[in-house]
Amino acid sequence: MFKDKSTAETLKSTRTYGQFRCPNPTCLDRLVPKPGEKTVKCPKCGTEWRVVWLKPDLPRIRGPVWETNIEIARKKLEEVEKKGG
Amino acid sequence: MALSRRVAYIDLSTGKIETKPIPVEIRKKFLGGRGLDAYLLYNHCPPGVDAFSPENPLIVSAGLLVGTLASATSRTHTMAKSPLTGLLGSCNMGGFFSPELRWAGFDHLVIKGKADKPVYIWIHNGEIEIRDAKNLWGKSVTDAQWAVREELGDPDVKCLVCGPAGEKLVRYANVMTGVKNAGGRTGMGAVMGSKNLKLIAVRGTMDIKIAYPKEALEFNKRFIEQITTAKVNQTMGILGTPFIWGATNSWGGVRVNNFQYNQLLFADDVEPERFHEISNETFGKYHMAGCFACQVHCRARYRIPDGPYKGCYDEGPEYTTQGAFASEVGCTSALTVLTGNYLCNQYGVDWLELGSLISWAMELYEKGILTIKDTGGIDLRFGNDEAVIEMIKHVCERDTWLGDVLAEGGLRAAEIIGKDSEQYLIHVKGMQNLHSDERATPALALNIATASRGSDHLRSRPAIDLYHLPEPVLRKIYSSPIPYDGPLSSDFREYAGKPWQVFWQEQCFMAVDCLGICKYHTTFLGATLPNFEDWPKVIYYNTGLEFTPQELWTIAERCNNMERLFNIREGLTPDDPHKGDILVDRYFNEPAKRGAPDVIGARIDREKFLKMRAEFYRYHGWDEKTGAPTEETLKRLGIDNEPSHLL
Ligand code: SF4
Repeated sequence: MFKDKSTAETLKSTRTYGQFRCPNPTCLDRLVPKPGEKTVKCPKCGTEWRVVWLKPDLPRIRGPVWETNIEIARKKLEEVEKKGG
Repeated sequence: MALSRRVAYIDLSTGKIETKPIPVEIRKKFLGGRGLDAYLLYNHCPPGVDAFSPENPLIVSAGLLVGTLASATSRTHTMAKSPLTGLLGSCNMGGFFSPELRWAGFDHLVIKGKADKPVYIWIHNGEIEIRDAKNLWGKSVTDAQWAVREELGDPDVKCLVCGPAGEKLVRYANVMTGVKNAGGRTGMGAVMGSKNLKLIAVRGTMDIKIAYPKEALEFNKRFIEQITTAKVNQTMGILGTPFIWGATNSWGGVRVNNFQYNQLLFADDVEPERFHEISNETFGKYHMAGCFACQVHCRARYRIPDGPYKGCYDEGPEYTTQGAFASEVGCTSALTVLTGNYLCNQYGVDWLELGSLISWAMELYEKGILTIKDTGGIDLRFGNDEAVIEMIKHVCERDTWLGDVLAEGGLRAAEIIGKDSEQYLIHVKGMQNLHSDERATPALALNIATASRGSDHLRSRPAIDLYHLPEPVLRKIYSSPIPYDGPLSSDFREYAGKPWQVFWQEQCFMAVDCLGICKYHTTFLGATLPNFEDWPKVIYYNTGLEFTPQELWTIAERCNNMERLFNIREGLTPDDPHKGDILVDRYFNEPAKRGAPDVIGARIDREKFLKMRAEFYRYHGWDEKTGAPTEETLKRLGIDNEPSHLL
């Protein structure tokens, strides 16, 4: 009477363990930290992130590496303000 | 049968109690929970009534699947006209209350009138009594529950309770159950207080007959596997919802210092891992707990590690508590978040509303609109942890001028304070915004602007929009159960396609609220969690009712339109700055200054926003100018003769 697998069930195959995406919205690439690694840098936008490992295959971004990302943000804000944004 | 539960009408003025069965035809139109509550509210609430009038009905319900063999069916829904917004009041909470209500024989309670002295309602195996609550009045949320259990001689009694904030008519007081399960937003606890109703106690041992128990259990195994293997739920089971705040703050999506910044810098002490550590240290390794029939267990338990409340037991915090007592008020102390959480849980008040209002008052203080005389001597500057804790108490006790003013909610407070104070108030429809900053995320901005109970993330927020999911994945999700071939974008800063995502999410959330399922078990934070195609099976095996995914979608649409009818009747027009589907000017005028590089400079484009809203109205079949459902829409959904007074 029911479809064997729902759309949600079929999407399970798209789950990606061991990786996450750079939180900067244009960086669609995934970041794959090496097991146990504590920080990871996005090769595309240069932002840097602190990593925690909830499980051996479940890394999570804890937060920015503050000094790096604040400096990137400061430069970007200057640019935006110059353009009158 | 799951369908044999009744609706009870309880008049606190006269003491009259009447019960009725719920006809299957009504079930098929509104399912139960929030959807059927919307029908009952539209039918029982006189137009234009004051929210604190005895005529305002307080409706409490369990969803259709609550207490059955289905997973995470723990939700209790409460509805009335809101004393905060004057529009739809509605809240939803987990815990164990609503399964017990169903085992006691009832699905919906419609409570009218006002008792002449404090009372509580005692419901047990088909019986309902109104009892004296003089020994409960004035007690905190947890003390009141323990006192009533002692009085009734049963430690397993479950309660829905208003705390001291509800008694004092703080317009955003919660209904609560257990320690921290909170029916927050829109002030349903204050409606309880206005009726002199302290608490509803329930205990039931009446079986719910499951239509196909073997199949229900078998299917639930599949459902559980689907839910527990999702990365997001594995994260929630370890860190609870604080992980959401942590993730959002990482890229600059939270409001800081009211709405002046969008990232709390050097926030390490209020990141989720820090709360996890504190729970480990003060409660032990196994500190995560769950609601009825839930396998995720997102509720952390802890004791306050330091300060005047050291050692007090509490649960949480939630991501919204971090927003309220960290980022919005510019504080970076875990202790402030945990203490604020504890006080709000004990007073029974919406921390989200309160934190946002305190941060607003802080900005007014910074700008000289409020003075130290107005604050009663409190140095209300951003980042002052002690001031935040003091203000929580003053609002809930209403014992200082500013505390009393803020207890009235933002718009009323702005009217009292005057000057330019309203300009800095961050609200939609008179309800304060969540701690998040939606300037970089048009979909989320549309969501909060159009949500039926005021600015709200739990009505239609397509949170997976933040995940940069590939377009084919988005298309799979958003093209079912109703075909959609319009644009969809992986970039959360885009406008195209977002109205459909918000519309889709609105039906999804209405459906789970009708069923009584927790939102963390559907397409909210996880893209691979069950939704329309999965629910017909759960419903059929548990209740015997047959629906297609498309039929469930139509039911959700019908229920959302009942809520819309209520709001339109109570004065909603699209551009009304106090009651409309519109954002405050800061969203359009001030760019984001912090966070990830591609977020800096973001603000909502007013013209594009209005286009999105018009498109969203079109999907609904609402008139673009009035925002009201058209005759054709009401006919299509079979609600063109409301109020029909069938129940
Ligand atoms: S996920 Fe959390 S809120 Fe939802 S039912 Fe489970 S414990 Fe309760």
